[in-house]
Amino acid sequence: MVAPPVAIIGFFVGVPIVISVIYTLGHVGGPNSAVAAVAQHQVATHGLLTWAAYQQVFAQHNFRASLVASVWVTVVSVVIVLILSWAIALYAWQTNSRLGRALSALAIVPMFIPVVIASYSILQFWSYGGFVKTIAYALGMPNFPTLGFSLQLVVLGEVWVSVPFGVLMIASGLGGISPSVFEAARDAGAGVVRATLSVLVPMNLLPTVIVTCFTGISILGSFTVPYLVGPTAPNLLGPEATETFSSFNEPQQAEVMAIVLFGLSVIVAVPYIWATYRSNRNAGVQAT
Amino acid sequence: MSVGATVAAQEPRITLDQPTARVPRRARRITWTKVVSTIAVVLLFVFIFGPLVWLLLWAFAGVWHYPSLLPQKWSLSWWRQVFNYPQLVRSVELSFLFAPTVTALSAVVCLPAAYAFARFRVPGRRALMITLFSVNAFPKIGLYITIATLFFALHLMGTFFGVVLIQLLGTIVFMTWIPTAAFAAVPRALEDAARDVGASRLRTFFSVTLPLAAPGIFVAMVLSFLASLDEAQGTFLVGIPNYVTMPVQMYSLVSDYPPEAAAVFAVLLSIPSVILMLLVRKHVMGGALARGFQV
Repeated sequence: MVAPPVAIIGFFVGVPIVISVIYTLGHVGGPNSAVAAVAQHQVATHGLLTWAAYQQVFAQHNFRASLVASVWVTVVSVVIVLILSWAIALYAWQTNSRLGRALSALAIVPMFIPVVIASYSILQFWSYGGFVKTIAYALGMPNFPTLGFSLQLVVLGEVWVSVPFGVLMIASGLGGISPSVFEAARDAGAGVVRATLSVLVPMNLLPTVIVTCFTGISILGSFTVPYLVGPTAPNLLGPEATETFSSFNEPQQAEVMAIVLFGLSVIVAVPYIWATYRSNRNAGVQAT
Repeated sequence: MSVGATVAAQEPRITLDQPTARVPRRARRITWTKVVSTIAVVLLFVFIFGPLVWLLLWAFAGVWHYPSLLPQKWSLSWWRQVFNYPQLVRSVELSFLFAPTVTALSAVVCLPAAYAFARFRVPGRRALMITLFSVNAFPKIGLYITIATLFFALHLMGTFFGVVLIQLLGTIVFMTWIPTAAFAAVPRALEDAARDVGASRLRTFFSVTLPLAAPGIFVAMVLSFLASLDEAQGTFLVGIPNYVTMPVQMYSLVSDYPPEAAAVFAVLLSIPSVILMLLVRKHVMGGALARGFQV
């Protein structure tokens, strides 16, 4: 019963990943011969393997700049998503008010808007002639900066797209915690921030780690948001790899970028695996 | 939007009007908390809904020049243009052909696996489930370059099934994880009780397990439907030129057409998503999705 999805993923994802890794290491024959036949600036080896393609890609200034941009956009976006999700979920959980519930319902909306549409409308909203610029003009700030085609707008776009998942996960985790725990900490003299950080966050650690890792991975490899709202260069590696493939016709270099991104994603996934392992172990201890 | 702005502008004045001397400290602090939270809510509202409302205005704009807050002239002419453009209408049809096909196929492929993950001792269960996630962790373009080679060899390029397959890959994670959690949440005691009174295994599954797991499965199906409706990169690579779906069309609209046309098309493309959202909102908020990531 488990076989069909695993087989599909294995054949259409696992095998291609292995083929790509081999390709980036200089093996241009076999399954790679079709793509290798049309590629530019390709590195080939007759020996076991070569790191030349990686050296070539890492030597490019553009790539290094985009790598740095990918990492900082991801880190900043994830931090903002965490703060926003916690704030919204916490407000709804603690006040249990109509406004709180409305707020968390509102925060789910982006999940259902196609990312292409979201990116396009965010671009229109924040760039020249958009709402933000218009309001600033009406308030007497005609020179207010616009964010169109900047990495800052990529951050805003990624946050917009990622907030629903964060709110859902954190809210769901908070739902299992009794409000009296929080009240007790507050009565003992802890401020809201202190009570949240030292009581609620540790109790709601797994959802927080899940949000951090999954949001981080999806932003690292994202394409649509940075492609539509971001600058030409340096941009995130998703669009950079796509450009490298389709505009520069350098599939091997594009694959190198994809594998570098995958490596980063694997690092980001480590806390998730650790946290689920730990929580399963704890659950096992409680059950017995 | 203007309503939100008014609230934000009025809120501080209300606080200042409070006669400070007579209001106890506690009450004043609550008022300030209220002011801050209201401003935060308004900003969040603008941040999330602003872009969508702005796009909606563009869809009905005849003439709209900066720095006017609203279009100078309203018009429906772009709607007529979009509906009269056969290529665009065709892409809408295609999207609604692919999305149900992909969702149904994904359910057939993944739901038995989800049940097995929830109910049987599958060796390497966690490792297998994380493996299914790898599609989302590996950058799409890197995957598609080699998948393209594979598809060429299998004569899947430019075919209906090729597009279905590439869209299917993105739905497998939801379709496995969320229903696994839904099946796991069904109390075994209920199944045992049904078996005790003589229900067959099959009967128990269809009368007890499936109805109880239905909300989670439903959420997974809607998310798959939306994922298929939203998929552009892979569909572009595999489907071109025979199968140009709505989001693929959207990329060219964004770059080649005036904002009014793109806005009309974007609004059209959002309608099914919004309807589906209203259908599953309760279950998604109820934790059906969140549980899927914690099995």
